[in-house]
Amino acid sequence: MTLSRTKLASFYGGIAASWLLATPALAATDHWAFRAPRDVAPPAVADARMVKTDIDRFIPSKVDAPLADARTLIRRMTFDLIGLPPTAEEVESFAKAQNRDEAVGQLIERLLASPRYGERWGRHWLDVARYSNTKGYVFSREERRFVHAPTYRDWVIRAFNDDLPYDRFLLLQIAADQLVSEGSRDLAAMGFLTGGRRFIGVKHDIIDDRIDVVTRGTMGLTVQCARCHDHKYDPISTEDYYSLYGVFHGGEDRLIPLAAVADEELRKRQEKLSSTMAKRREEAAARLRARVADYLTAQGEMGKYPEEGFDQILAADEIIPASVRRWRDFLHGAKSHPIFAPWVAFVTKSEIEPGVIVNPLVAAAFATPPKSLAGAAQRYGALFLDAEKQSAPEAAELRAFLRDPDSPTTVPDTGIVNNDQFFPFTAIEELWKMQGDVERRLIELGTPVALIVADLSPEPNPRVFKRGSASRLGDEVPRQFLEVIAGEKRTPFQNGSGRLELARAIASADNPLTARVMVNRIWQHHFGTGLVKTPSDFGVRAELPSHPELLDWLARRFIAEGWSVKAMHRLILKSAVYQQAADEFPSQRLGFEQLRDAMLAVTGELDLTTTGKPPELLDAANKRRTVYSYVDRQFLPGVFRTFDFANPDMHVAVRHETSVPQQALFFLNGAFAADRAKALSARLTGEPDARVQQLYRAVYQRAASPDEVNAAVRFISASKSDVASAKPVRETQWRYGTGEYDEANKRLKSFKPFPYFTGSSWQGASAWPGSDTGWAQLTAEGGHPGNTRQHACVRRWVAAVDSDIQITGTLKHEPEQGDGVRAFILSSRSGELKSASVHRSSADMSASVTVKAGDTIDFVVDIGGTLSYDQFLWSPIVKVGAITHDARMEFGGPSPESQYLAPWEQYTQVLLLSNEFAFVD
Amino acid sequence: MGMGALSLGALADSPLAAHAPHFAPKAKRVIHFFLNGGPSHVDTFDPKPMLAKYAGQPLPGEYLRTERKTGAAFPSPFAFQKYGQSGLEISELFSKTAAHADSIAVVRSMYAQVPNHEPSLMLMNCGDSVQARPSFGSWLLYGLGSENQNLPGFVAMCPGGMPIKDSENWQAGFLPGALQGTFVDPQHRELDKLIENIRSPHASTAIQRRQLDLLRDINAAQQRTHSDPRMESRIQSFELAFRMQMEATDAFDIARESAVTRAAYGDHVHGRQTLIARRLLERGVRFVQLWHGAGQPWDHHSNIKDSIRKHSGDIDGPIAALMADLKQRGMFEDTLILWGGEFGRTPTVELGDAGKSQLGRDHNHYGFSVWMAGGGIKGGMVHGATDEFGFKAVEKRASVHDLHATMLHLLGFDHERLTYRHAGRDFRLTDVSGDVMRDILA
Repeated sequence: MTLSRTKLASFYGGIAASWLLATPALAATDHWAFRAPRDVAPPAVADARMVKTDIDRFIPSKVDAPLADARTLIRRMTFDLIGLPPTAEEVESFAKAQNRDEAVGQLIERLLASPRYGERWGRHWLDVARYSNTKGYVFSREERRFVHAPTYRDWVIRAFNDDLPYDRFLLLQIAADQLVSEGSRDLAAMGFLTGGRRFIGVKHDIIDDRIDVVTRGTMGLTVQCARCHDHKYDPISTEDYYSLYGVFHGGEDRLIPLAAVADEELRKRQEKLSSTMAKRREEAAARLRARVADYLTAQGEMGKYPEEGFDQILAADEIIPASVRRWRDFLHGAKSHPIFAPWVAFVTKSEIEPGVIVNPLVAAAFATPPKSLAGAAQRYGALFLDAEKQSAPEAAELRAFLRDPDSPTTVPDTGIVNNDQFFPFTAIEELWKMQGDVERRLIELGTPVALIVADLSPEPNPRVFKRGSASRLGDEVPRQFLEVIAGEKRTPFQNGSGRLELARAIASADNPLTARVMVNRIWQHHFGTGLVKTPSDFGVRAELPSHPELLDWLARRFIAEGWSVKAMHRLILKSAVYQQAADEFPSQRLGFEQLRDAMLAVTGELDLTTTGKPPELLDAANKRRTVYSYVDRQFLPGVFRTFDFANPDMHVAVRHETSVPQQALFFLNGAFAADRAKALSARLTGEPDARVQQLYRAVYQRAASPDEVNAAVRFISASKSDVASAKPVRETQWRYGTGEYDEANKRLKSFKPFPYFTGSSWQGASAWPGSDTGWAQLTAEGGHPGNTRQHACVRRWVAAVDSDIQITGTLKHEPEQGDGVRAFILSSRSGELKSASVHRSSADMSASVTVKAGDTIDFVVDIGGTLSYDQFLWSPIVKVGAITHDARMEFGGPSPESQYLAPWEQYTQVLLLSNEFAFVD
Repeated sequence: MGMGALSLGALADSPLAAHAPHFAPKAKRVIHFFLNGGPSHVDTFDPKPMLAKYAGQPLPGEYLRTERKTGAAFPSPFAFQKYGQSGLEISELFSKTAAHADSIAVVRSMYAQVPNHEPSLMLMNCGDSVQARPSFGSWLLYGLGSENQNLPGFVAMCPGGMPIKDSENWQAGFLPGALQGTFVDPQHRELDKLIENIRSPHASTAIQRRQLDLLRDINAAQQRTHSDPRMESRIQSFELAFRMQMEATDAFDIARESAVTRAAYGDHVHGRQTLIARRLLERGVRFVQLWHGAGQPWDHHSNIKDSIRKHSGDIDGPIAALMADLKQRGMFEDTLILWGGEFGRTPTVELGDAGKSQLGRDHNHYGFSVWMAGGGIKGGMVHGATDEFGFKAVEKRASVHDLHATMLHLLGFDHERLTYRHAGRDFRLTDVSGDVMRDILA
């Protein structure tokens, strides 16, 4: 499927010849990917029988090449489009169809219309967008989770489901703030920019990350390489890099709730944050106004001040390096400023431009030239201090300057995430904590929130950082698009930061890269490899496209079809080349999400809830699709890494695909696969061979062969004989669970054993409080009742022999708060033996009774009146003649053997671990 | 491909398969004692008598800005002594380690880029203070693979939790995730808590063996119509996993060591983690990093006299015991030992509010010490020097890239040729610079 270099050369024409002869640097601007896709007609083929779509004219199949059988095809398409297996019924009905092409068409439409489609293809984009629910390393004062991440994820999924035109999809992700109205759900799209690592607030690094995700993600250009020096291979200069740097520099990150929130607690926290922020800003501004002389003097010794990111001040009386830089930027453009024109003239050793009207007070102060920069600074300092005290109209201009929101003597009103470098340490800690309180509340409420970039007032043009160092400023460059695309005669961006213009230049039919890069990504996810093997590097060092004509034709077609991603799927999936038989088609190894989701799907457990708060991946109760799970880039669970999940720290174009024993350990020993095996085998009915057939249908969507049935039956019988010959398990006489006290009959209405043992307590689930049984829990010493009286916690003792027993023990409730708990000792034969209510008190819980073997004695505790501070201590002792059963000493988890999978569960687990399950033809 | 063709080696698509380096290596494995927080060099391996002369007075010359304000010269409260035939000077804080002075090469002229923990940790571990880049251990696994497929090839141990920057310190960056360091908290004693999923709660060994036999048969039947090395690889990964359960249990169980050995390392968490490290190295683990503790224990801003004595006391014995043990087992010659932090500390005293002395030292990235011993290192010597007060590296200045280049050289790599193509560029651990410190090579 590859073309010779000579053929490529003839396709791209003479211009590329030199480049094809391995002298890339010489002909970089002639590089194929930097030129518009050619308008190629699908080649004519000698025999059109194998042509299903025009794609087949570019990659002709052999005339009698076999196509995939029905089961293979529907599995391939279903996994590809929705990331899940088809059901056995779907396979059967597809196989029965008389007209395969028609059935394929219907299948594609059904899959593209499924909400599951966006979950699968949205996840591909989230790899590109380095999606994570957390900010990466942050200081302890800051909330480490992103508030907006789930909203962005849900927006991406919906955009794919809605087939939002790809150009619009990109525009919104880069500049929604300038395209949609306030409160629009599309603002969430900007999570693309704002979802990267926070780099402990260092702005250069945050911007660098954004430049990378935008340029590599949308155009396959590695612009980031030009941060410190011109790109080594591609025609991208440091000037280009800083032009884009300027686009992203002049904005603030702003949290925007996308739904009305009527929450008093949130309002209180927001109010506290904003009033404290206002106060701290004014305090800092007062210090800035009083020290103009110091800040001007600092302009002569910039080297003394640390660069952005390492410039936090500790005490309030320190010079604020961020303000020193703000002064620098302000003065840089102040040659016509009525107050500072004399300063600029002095520093640049030039005359004040004609026509500039200098404030009379300033003019008077500079009637004689100052001797030094420090001297000039002192004059300004004195002028401003003086102006604060007098009411002369000329002084009003000076006072107004001091309070202008754009003046370097103020602190920008941009939120602590953007302005923390202006405050002393204690104020930073205080404000970040309050910001965290707001963010935590929003997360708790699950409010959809966008984190947008909003442009501030226009900034001076960016300047190149020599060798990437912010302390070594080079030439000024305009904010503008990359020369390699926009050409030498490009015009600088006109409006504000230029971010919208940047977005338009990317999401443009005239951009030679954007459409090519996306169709290549689509191709890659259908065939395993892109037409260009480096989907996020289309630079001169990238490998040549395997089918350049096809790539160009697809790119133009994509644009012509209104940038419809779904149209591309149709085109590709209907082609003969996609429908080839398994031997000709690269089999797909399921990625982590597909494996996990497929296991949940075949056992019938998959929870199809969409949107909202991210559940923990490893929580046993989490049966949602993996795309919704919490991704913590700082503490990524090992299983994500083990299975080559996209590293959320960086834009990922192609996932690694590795085999390591840790993957096998996860499925063999982890709870996940075992739980799936239990769930599926619980659904089996009938004789062994029927069970095997049910399993094969569910897991593989096919019938088991006689050999397979025989192997299964042999396995089950060997495993059963093991269980039969195993030593009997010695269990204690204690059981642990929940139930409800029957007030009328003074008995226990029901007993439901706790399913989960943590190693030190029995409870409803691994998470406590669990969803169903709430706070119910039993430990060796005591426990906690469930949230309502329907969920009392019950420690049960089962009599082994007929005898008289003595029960002793003390019930204790300690907390002052709340209203205490109620407790009962209930005999299954004799009814209530004892009851008590305690609150900050103890009660003796002794009783005597006669029991028969199999009788139960229940030690029941429920909430007093309300659920509040209900933890209690109570570990009863039951004496049977000379034998003592001490609840505390005998407390423990299930015996190891009782946890072992039953034979059918063992067998089911094996099927789920097989290669046939993990690979799709 | 026949069954079991790969049964003893690595998997075909495992990034951990063993590879040969560029040239014959001197060292085959590395152990790194990471004194996180930044150990003071003037109190440990870089004696500065001039500080006593200037005690209480400001240092002459330029004031070097660090993270916080510092004041007068602050002489070390600890005595230095010459050890071994070489007469290498080491402070009393490491008097046990000093028994191996003739095996140690101290680099006294290290420098970093900024006086802050986070970027300096990244620089020391990953060669870049800002971007997410693979750590040294991940590069090493990428270059060499692992000699034992039944254990993780790169283990980072830290008692009580993670250091600052968490798992970024042992990240794989753009390399495959399997090359990332495996974090182990040696405070745990049960194996299940040390390594994820290492034991099955729902199958005995016998049950699991029967399951794996069935799995092999089912997969073999499918192989008859499908030949794909990735499938073969996945089959083998289950067999490896089965063996890994046994091997890991053994490797982490120090009860299998003699009482004498356990006593030599010490019956405390640092002794235990150092002894576990030796068991891992012995079994073919490529890189073990031993952190001192969660957070940054070596960040001695105040009252350094007591705190550094305590922290040195924690590890001096285990380091000395490890060196003796490796020598006795014939492993010292091909095991590279690295000792150091992310930077050093100021020779001047840190000042708190209102200029009050904290009796501690601030971060110092201008000059600090690390030392190496074992595989390919010429012992009993010093490379480079700081100024007369120990503030700034002045002679034979050594960057972190130089350190990494030297270590890679000892492990058989030309650091300029150990590269990985990512985002359009061939990346390397040492970015665009780095010179091997030839004089410390044996």
